This record gives sequence, C-alpha cells and structure tokens, in this order.
Amino acid sequence: MTSSFQNYDASKFYDELLDSTDGARSHARLLVDYFDRMPKQDLLNRQDAVDSTILDMGISFTVYSEGDNIDRSWPLDVIPRTISGREWDGIERGLKQRIRALNLFIDDLYNDRRIIKDKIVPAEIIDSSRNYLKACMGAKPRHGVWAHICGSDLVRDSDGTVYVLEDNLRVPSGVSYMLENRNVVKRVFPSLFRDHRVRPVSEYPSALSRMLHSIAPAGREGNAEIVVLTPGVFNSAYFEHSYLARTMGVELVEGGDLVVDDNDIVSVRTIDGLKRVDTIYRRIDDTFLDPEVFRDDSMLGVRGIVRAWRAGNVALANAPGSGVADDKVVYSYVPEIIRYYLGEDAILPNVPTWRCSDAKSLQHVLANLDKLVVKPANESGGYGMLVGPHSSKQERDEFAAALRKDPRNYIAQPTLMLSTAPTLCEEVLEPRHLDLRPFILQGSDTYVTAGGLTRVALRKGSLVVNSSQGGGSKDTWVIEDAE
Amino acid sequence: MLSRSAERIYWAGRYLERAENTARIVQQYSQMLLDLPDEVGVDWPALMPVFGISTGSRTNSLPSNEAGFMQLILSNRNSPSSLIYALRMARENIRNNRDLLPMESWESVNELYQVVHQNLESATESEDRFEFLADCIAHCQQVCGCLHGTMSHHSPYHFLMLGQHIERADMTTRIIDITASYITKNERVTRLYGSTLWTNVLKTVGGFQMYRQYVQPQVISSQVINFLVNDTAFPRAIQCCTNNCIRSAEALPGNTETIKQLTVLCGVLAGSSVDELDAAKVSETMDELQMYLGRVHQAVATAWFLPGADT
Repeated sequence: MTSSFQNYDASKFYDELLDSTDGARSHARLLVDYFDRMPKQDLLNRQDAVDSTILDMGISFTVYSEGDNIDRSWPLDVIPRTISGREWDGIERGLKQRIRALNLFIDDLYNDRRIIKDKIVPAEIIDSSRNYLKACMGAKPRHGVWAHICGSDLVRDSDGTVYVLEDNLRVPSGVSYMLENRNVVKRVFPSLFRDHRVRPVSEYPSALSRMLHSIAPAGREGNAEIVVLTPGVFNSAYFEHSYLARTMGVELVEGGDLVVDDNDIVSVRTIDGLKRVDTIYRRIDDTFLDPEVFRDDSMLGVRGIVRAWRAGNVALANAPGSGVADDKVVYSYVPEIIRYYLGEDAILPNVPTWRCSDAKSLQHVLANLDKLVVKPANESGGYGMLVGPHSSKQERDEFAAALRKDPRNYIAQPTLMLSTAPTLCEEVLEPRHLDLRPFILQGSDTYVTAGGLTRVALRKGSLVVNSSQGGGSKDTWVIEDAE
Repeated sequence: MLSRSAERIYWAGRYLERAENTARIVQQYSQMLLDLPDEVGVDWPALMPVFGISTGSRTNSLPSNEAGFMQLILSNRNSPSSLIYALRMARENIRNNRDLLPMESWESVNELYQVVHQNLESATESEDRFEFLADCIAHCQQVCGCLHGTMSHHSPYHFLMLGQHIERADMTTRIIDITASYITKNERVTRLYGSTLWTNVLKTVGGFQMYRQYVQPQVISSQVINFLVNDTAFPRAIQCCTNNCIRSAEALPGNTETIKQLTVLCGVLAGSSVDELDAAKVSETMDELQMYLGRVHQAVATAWFLPGADT
C-alpha cells in the first residue's frame, strides 16, 4: 500500500477497515482504495471542508467547564467507519431481541414481579436500584412498552466479537449527530457516496414520529399532538432536542409550556390558549419530571404529569422508571432475562461482568484492579469509572476503598481491546479506538437505525470515546455486500 | 403557535434590532467625536445611558478610556448591554425556533455571530472599528432581509415585527434623549455645535437623507425631533414603528389590551410635537414615551407569552 495508508499499522487491534496484513476488508475495499489514492493534501482539504461545513450548519454540542457553557463545534473525522450489511443484519436482530426482552422485564418489575418470584433476578438488586421508582408500580403503558428509545453501546474486541457494553434506556442522546454526520459526509464526498451501497439513516425522524404516534392514548394515534420536552437551552443535548423536534415537525417545549388540569389532561400553552398533548418525548431525567412525585425542587418538570400518565391520558417516552433496566448490575442479568421472557439465547453477547455484590467476585476484582474496568452502577457519560491498565496506584486504592464500602454499586469487566479505524490525527492516518451506538425504537413495532453513531477516542491509546471528554465521531456506513 | 415560540421570536426581533442599533450608535458617535474639539467635552460616558448603563452613582466603576467603553458596550459577553450579548440572544432565539423561521435566516444569523465573535478584538481598536461595525450592520440587515423576504405573514412574522418595532422605537427615544439631556447640561455646546449634534442623531438612525428630502435641507433641532417622533413614513420614526405594531397586533388573536396600549401611545405621540427646542421638556417626553412603550411590551407579554416569564 502507498500514500495515505503507507505507515498504517492495523496489526495491534481489530481494525474495522483493514485486516491485520493491512489489506482492506472486503466490504471496505472501495473506500480504502479511494482514500489510499487520494493525495495527502486532498485528504487534509476534505477534513477542512468537513470542519467548515459543520461550522456553517451550526452543528455544536455544549460542554460544561468551570460553571460556563461552551458551545463547541461537533468533531467529525473525515474517514467513515464501515460495517458489512450481512454482519449488521445479525446485530439488528440481536438488538431487537434485546429491547423486546428488556421491555417485558420492566413491565414485569412494575407489575407482577414474576422474574423475582421465579428467582432469576434477586429482589434486593431491584429494590436497591435508585432507578426503580415506586411511583410507577402498577402502571400499564401501551403495548407493554416502557423503554421506547434505546441507545445501546456496542464494542468489538480484538477477536472480532461484538458485545453490548451497556443499554441506555433513560434519555439516550447522539442520534442527531448520526444524522448530521451523514449529511456532512454526503456534502463533502458525493462521488464516493454514489459508488457505494450505503444503507440510509435519514428515515430516523419519521420512524421516531411513527413510534410516538403509536403510543399515544387509544383513539388519538391518528392525530396525536406530539411534543419534545427539553430541560432548556443550557442542557448539553439541547442541539439534539431542537433538531429532533424540527425534523419531526413537532413543538419543542419546556416544563413551563405544559399544564396538567384537574381531569389529568396535559396541555400546552399557545397564543390561542391551551391545546391538548398526547405524547411527550421527554429529554428530562426521571427525577426532575414531576415535582409532585419526585424531586419537589425541580424547576424543569411539569406538576401532575405522572398522574396524567398513570391515568393513560398522555404517553411518556421513555416511561418513567425505565432506567431500572439500565443499571449496570441488572445489565449482567440480561442474557438470563432474554432466556426467561423469550425462551431464546441472546444473539448479542454481554461483556463478561463481575458483580461486586457477590463476595467471591469482589475478591477477584480487588485482586485484579490493574487489569479490569470498574464502573459505578448508575453513571453515564464515562464518568466515575476506573480503567485498570491506565490507572495510577492511588486511583486503584481509592476505588478499592469505594468497592468495599458499597459493593452493590459497582461492577467490573475485563479491559476490552476496542477495535480501531483509521482516523486523521495531526495530518496522518492512525488507528484509534471506537464504539458504536445504534438507536432502537419500540412502540407497536421495533426499528433499528442502520449503523448508528460511531464515537472515536482521539487520543492515542485512549479508550474513552465520550465527546464531553475529548472524543470525536465518524459517519457509520453499513455497506451492502456484493451479491 | 406556542406561547414560548411567540416569545422567542419576539425577542429575536428585539435583539436583532438592538444589535444593529448598537452598532449604528457607536459607529456614528465615533465619527462625531472626531468632529468636535476636546473642549466641548462630549465623550463616551455621556453615551452610556443609551445602553442602560448608569453613570450617575459611585457604585458603578466606569472604564477610564475608550477601549474600556468599547469593551463594555461591544465585546463584553457578560454585559447585557453589549453588542455581542444581543447577538448571542438573537442567535439563540432564532436557533431555537428554526422550525418556524426560514432556514437561511438561521444560517445567516449564525454567520453574523461567528463573524462578530471572531473579530471582537478589532472592535476595541479604533483603527479597525469602522470596518467591524459596518460589517456588523450589513450582516444584521442581511438577516432581516432574509426574514422579511421569505417569511409568510402569519403569527410568527407578526411577533417578529412587534419585537423589532418596539425595540426600534425605544432606541430612537434613547438616541434623542441622550442628545437632549446633553444640551440641557451644556448650553454653550448648543450654540456652537447644536447642528452637528442633531445631524449626528439623524445619521445614527440612517435618516439624514430622508430628512433633507422630505422635511427640509437645514438641520433644525425641533424639526429633527418632530421627524423622528411623528413621521409616518420614515421607518425609524416612533409613529411609523407604532403603526407597524398596530398592523401586526391586529393580525393576532386576543389583541384587545395590546391595541389599547398602542392607541394610548399614539395619543401621546400626537401631543408631543414641539415648535421650539426645550431640551429639558424633550428629555421628559422621551422618558414618557419609553414608559408607554414599556406598557405595550407588557400587554404583549401578558396576552401571548408564558406566565411569569418576562425577560
């Protein structure tokens, strides 16, 4: 190989585009050839074009720093990440299986609790989870679905196996960046795009809208009034909230826009007076949703909204309490959960997980802190975790103390050697670790995005892909295989 | 239309107008300072009340030089009186209403913000300021041109109009007021430089040519004031702004109180015409007009915005 990939080393980790002998993987061959033939200056120009398109289109995200909100341009790497269509079909089946089982599980937990009575999942794990909300007991959302929008994180280990790393069932974000990444790449590489059969992602807003209609109160599905509820302009995902409202053609509202009346009907304030709302895609955390039920100091939520939801007068996506299945200890039971409700083996494997609540596992974890990744049960955004091989002695000591104090709240997993893809770093293509977040919808039907949002750790050797911590992103191409 | 969207669009209109006016005022004032000898004593502190910055009390420590003042009214991100603040608010309000506004208006307000943001440094340097402000004014007009040229005349448009014209009328009162109160305090200046000052007022609102065309060639203080207050044809005259507000309010539901307040304002305007310049009285009239404009805003907020969210 010459030029762009001349010094590229794909032998250390599983690379998504190249195999270990530096040949292109068959589904990525056209793409690798294209970039390989491209003179270096062209490549740099394309990256500049990507950056300036992002600035012009106003694609940004917010990071909090020293009490300030800083609007940053979204980082998108010029080289797409590829997946073969055939492989994706299997992953998609696995994701649909998983969301169906998880929703049966959540519905069961808030109603009959059969899975606990049958001793598959211990009661204390559920009852001690702070995402298990008593206020939701006995609720019956339509179709038995609680988690309507799920953003699972997938990673690939060095042997090529794709694992589910976590299920984000509360308010998963990132889908707007998946859509915008594609729009930018289409603008910058029209010809490259024409030569490939890349599965489209652009129908996501329609699929989301369809799903939100399908969960509206019975009789109102056809003409449902849908709104997106945001905490407001200072939230880090505000860009996405307004993006989704706009692309679905629905109103973006804040707590103050909504009122619940004495008949438990939710309405939005308009210049003509009140108008009834049927489905709320809420991007506010459970505990801020309703000061009547959860945090009474919440300024973001709507008083009485849980009452209206329980009465079946409004649908909330995701339903409050869905986060119970998002707990990382509960995660470790997902293969059993799938078998219990569906009578099937899990199509997508979990990452092997030690539950620190188990005394034997705790011993193992404490003895191997330098090799494992330790995560708190309920954090997101990559915060509060220990990456053993990259940690200092002091950090390990601190974690050991925390684990002994509150073992229920931690799990540990082997440090996976995440797969890589060529990424433009300081004018050279180098392998960088990445993950993938597909988005799964369930209402009356299930839907999975073709691919998802690929996040990439831009620092050499780093495994942390979160954009709040210096991660970048890539457009994700699910490429149809040749006949 | 959501009450919140109405409120955002209204504020987008106000902040866009405020940004453009701020640039115009600083632009024109910088030019005027070059024409007046130092001994006249017209300087930057005198301009501060236009931007709602109090100069009277000791609690406010004012900057000691021009660069400091420029920082305060142009580039200080944390000061609600600054140009960059107004642009940021205009941009956020347009961004958050992208579904109701033409896509190009978002792209162009985003570009406006980026251009100003990247050149803030040069705003404080007197060498580059003219260029910077001219650029800013042109970009503001591009955004407005885009909104006016491609938006259907339905509710969102009318809220934009209300915001823009209330702000514009308010700014015109402030510009007249600052000159009038300056003259009250410095009688000698009036005799020597009166016409320079009033010419400056006309140029600030871009009305010098229209005044000469349609009022008269000579700059006479009382005529200038009547033109800027009562003219029905000049877009920055208060009466013209008020008429535009009435037209927009009439197109909206539940407008009784707003129309009532606008009618009251028209009455006040009709009675405020001056024959001879009595600067103290002009100052008083401008204060009064600001109060009535405030009542119009209040009526708009009560009728159409979210309860208790007046910003």
